[in-house]
Amino acid sequence: MPLIIKDEYPDKLFRKDGKRLDGRDVDELRPIKMEVGVIKNADGSAYLEWGNNKIFAAVYGPREVHPHHLAKPDRGILRVFYRMATYSVFDRKRPAPGRREKEISMVVGDCLEPILFLELYPGTSFEIYIEVMDADGGTRCASTTVAALALADAGIPMKSLVTAIAVGKIDGKKVVDLSGIEDKAGEADLPIAITWYNEEISLLQFDGDMDLDDMNHFLDKAKEALSKVHQIQLETLKSKYIPLQGEITNEKKGEK
Amino acid sequence: MMDVKRIVSRIEKNYIKSNLRKEERIDGRGLWDYREFEIKSDIIASAEGSADVFLGDTRIMTGLKYDVGTPFPDLPNEGVCTVMAELLPLASPLFERGPPGEQSIELARVVDRGIRHADCIQTKKLCIKEKEAVYILFVDMYVVNHDGNLIDTGAISALATLLSAHIPEGIIGDNGLEWTGKYLTGKDLVNELPIALTYGKIDDIIFLDPKLPEELVCEGRISISVTENKICSIQKSGAATFSIDEIKMLGKKSIEIGQKLRKQLNLTQHLSKVK
Repeated sequence: MPLIIKDEYPDKLFRKDGKRLDGRDVDELRPIKMEVGVIKNADGSAYLEWGNNKIFAAVYGPREVHPHHLAKPDRGILRVFYRMATYSVFDRKRPAPGRREKEISMVVGDCLEPILFLELYPGTSFEIYIEVMDADGGTRCASTTVAALALADAGIPMKSLVTAIAVGKIDGKKVVDLSGIEDKAGEADLPIAITWYNEEISLLQFDGDMDLDDMNHFLDKAKEALSKVHQIQLETLKSKYIPLQGEITNEKKGEK
Repeated sequence: MMDVKRIVSRIEKNYIKSNLRKEERIDGRGLWDYREFEIKSDIIASAEGSADVFLGDTRIMTGLKYDVGTPFPDLPNEGVCTVMAELLPLASPLFERGPPGEQSIELARVVDRGIRHADCIQTKKLCIKEKEAVYILFVDMYVVNHDGNLIDTGAISALATLLSAHIPEGIIGDNGLEWTGKYLTGKDLVNELPIALTYGKIDDIIFLDPKLPEELVCEGRISISVTENKICSIQKSGAATFSIDEIKMLGKKSIEIGQKLRKQLNLTQHLSKVK
């Protein structure tokens, strides 16, 4: 039987004053909040609120590979498990992982692999568990962003962070950071991630239609927005580790 | 990172035991004390009710979703409530990926039985039309960090979730299922508040709210769900045996501690504000 309230989208995605439905300008981001070290059992962890997205990421590793035959003798492996909670979406999601979740796990894993030195960890595995508790569009980008933070929190050597965002077209206008409604009702959606050590693109998918001008515009706008999110990532890590550094230097002074 | 191992060393085991003999716990609590509870409710926008509950470092996030289905033939005017628990591999190196294991099924079942047998939900209110349409509620618990005593944390988080419920009220009109524009809230649905209390047992020492290292060392556990003045479900698990006197004592203690905890948590503050 259908649900009592239907999952319907509005006809127009812009208000009369030219702003988007949630009051944002075309290149304005949703509010973002990040935190690291939220899951004490994990080697590294992070939590992200991006609009209404609420996502946890935890890193375990380097550790022994299960099942053993997946281990590679010359390098470590990175495995990502992206999952969504049953209550994170409008229609209750089935508890078992579906095809979409498996694909996103793979895409996020491929996106993160270039920043790690896996060749230094032969025979081991790094596992990243991502759990979407509340979904509001752009979860694969938000998951990539929070997973990079969790890797950094785990103290795993990295070339740089990774940041991801979705840009796209709604009602014929080009916008950054699509919300859940815009993602479903809009015309085009381009998730994009950047590895900061070489400033190259590490994740790129596209659904919709665009001409070459559109594409150039999207890529430039995405980079602008990504550097804003990157700053928040860096601040989050600093806010945890700079006070710790202070404590350690104070202790050392005390010893002398 | 916390030190989490499947096997606890003999030294640590003896340390936990000798402390318990002196009526002390590894974190400084007394034998009958809970760790601190912290409850946040209605935090998930996509869910029809939700709660984020901390018991010390144990953390469970729970959400409520609904569906409309046909009732069971023997209960034609009653809705259904199901409880699911998932032990996320994110929460502890002890949890593995894959289909639900014994531990997560036990957690879901014990919480479910507490709710069911305490007459917690007014299932008749979940009926849209007799024999045709009733609500099916899904209370899904996700363990985000594991530091022992998932059952008590899960029971509280399920309650807070149900209290914060706001489900669109439906009627069967001329065009089939329609929304009345109002919501069924926790106030309409929740009747009794069953609280689970879990005790661990090592040798002949019994203690409340085992922390993870204690849980790994102890021989067995017993969980007792209580309402204001009645016991509504019991689950003994693990290899320990309990004497009849011990169980009588625990029953009495559960009701006492339950009443105290109920006052302290003041769960009704989490009732949904939606109208």
